[in-house]
Amino acid sequence: MTTSEAIPAETALDDIRAMLLELLDEYGLEDGTEITRDTAFHEDLGLESIDLVALGSRLAERYGEHVNLAAFLAEMELDDVIGLRIGSLVDFVVHSTGRFRNRES
Amino acid sequence: MGRVDVNGVSTHFQRLAARPSGGEPVPTVVFVHGLGYDSLASFYLTLAAPFAEHGIDVLTYDLRGHGRSARPATGYRVSDFVADLRGLLAELAEDRPVHVIGNSFGGTIAFSFAATHPERVSSVVAIEGEPATQPWADKMERTFGNVLDEARDPANIEWLERTYGKHHARLATAALRIIESTSIVADVPSGPLLGEQELRALHCPVMTVVGSDGFQRDDPYALQAVLPSCRTEVINDQDHSVLVERHHLLRYLLLNWVTEQEHLRWLGEVA
Repeated sequence: MTTSEAIPAETALDDIRAMLLELLDEYGLEDGTEITRDTAFHEDLGLESIDLVALGSRLAERYGEHVNLAAFLAEMELDDVIGLRIGSLVDFVVHSTGRFRNRES
Repeated sequence: MGRVDVNGVSTHFQRLAARPSGGEPVPTVVFVHGLGYDSLASFYLTLAAPFAEHGIDVLTYDLRGHGRSARPATGYRVSDFVADLRGLLAELAEDRPVHVIGNSFGGTIAFSFAATHPERVSSVVAIEGEPATQPWADKMERTFGNVLDEARDPANIEWLERTYGKHHARLATAALRIIESTSIVADVPSGPLLGEQELRALHCPVMTVVGSDGFQRDDPYALQAVLPSCRTEVINDQDHSVLVERHHLLRYLLLNWVTEQEHLRWLGEVA
């Protein structure tokens, strides 16, 4: 049995928070917004699906191509994508990095 | 993510390489999104990754005025969008024929691209999209009129927000923004339009996927009567939002379509 070396959830949340604040800043929407696991990507942050694409690129740059947000979202239904919460993104990063490292070890 | 200058417009695109990468040449699919509040996200978040996983190179991009591409004030005729697609393929050195899959107005662009650049196209798939004919232009003018009337009334935006949530209200506002800041309303319906003769000369294989309650509900099979090679799939109990609401079904239909077209080409059954 291999030991998982997934990115810790706290680190993933910090990284995603920094990426989202950058995106919000581009729109001039960054006003000290608090971002937690419960924050909704569209409803709370006012971001759009095109911003999910930008986030996907940043995640791949940060962690590698195996963190494939497009593939993750393609398995979801529309309502789940619209209601997407930051916690789901964190879990996705933790899961994909852990799975990849296990495969490599 | 990438960005390239196409016909003077800074254009945002995304490529997803076929997996596994390397080895034999693989087919390329170009996904073209629709008008208004649409962007490459509609395809990126639904079909792009499954197609790449299936061994297909994927290219999708934001049309001028949309998503993260630049928004010039003018230049929104169908021919401008066709020139942009041609220019993007040239910039990215994509010199083999491609399968063009368009959603709504993206389908319209795909038809006009195939009519003007037949050598560049392996097949066309139009999801709730029609060729730029006179009846299409009339429909577009009516649609623009309705969108303008609805989105300009704050009460309607509030109703959208109450009924469907902030997300939908923001989409309507985004559509109004592009309509009011560009010549898109005047430009799009001006085509140039395709006549029956041009449609009958469109020899590449075509598949249209329409919702039973979508924009082509009056006669979903109309194109089969005029195009030399056209298959139509009608999705029951579905309005215009086929791509975002039925993407799991589309994945199955479209992957089969591209695979079949590639096999037929390999057998020499299609040009």
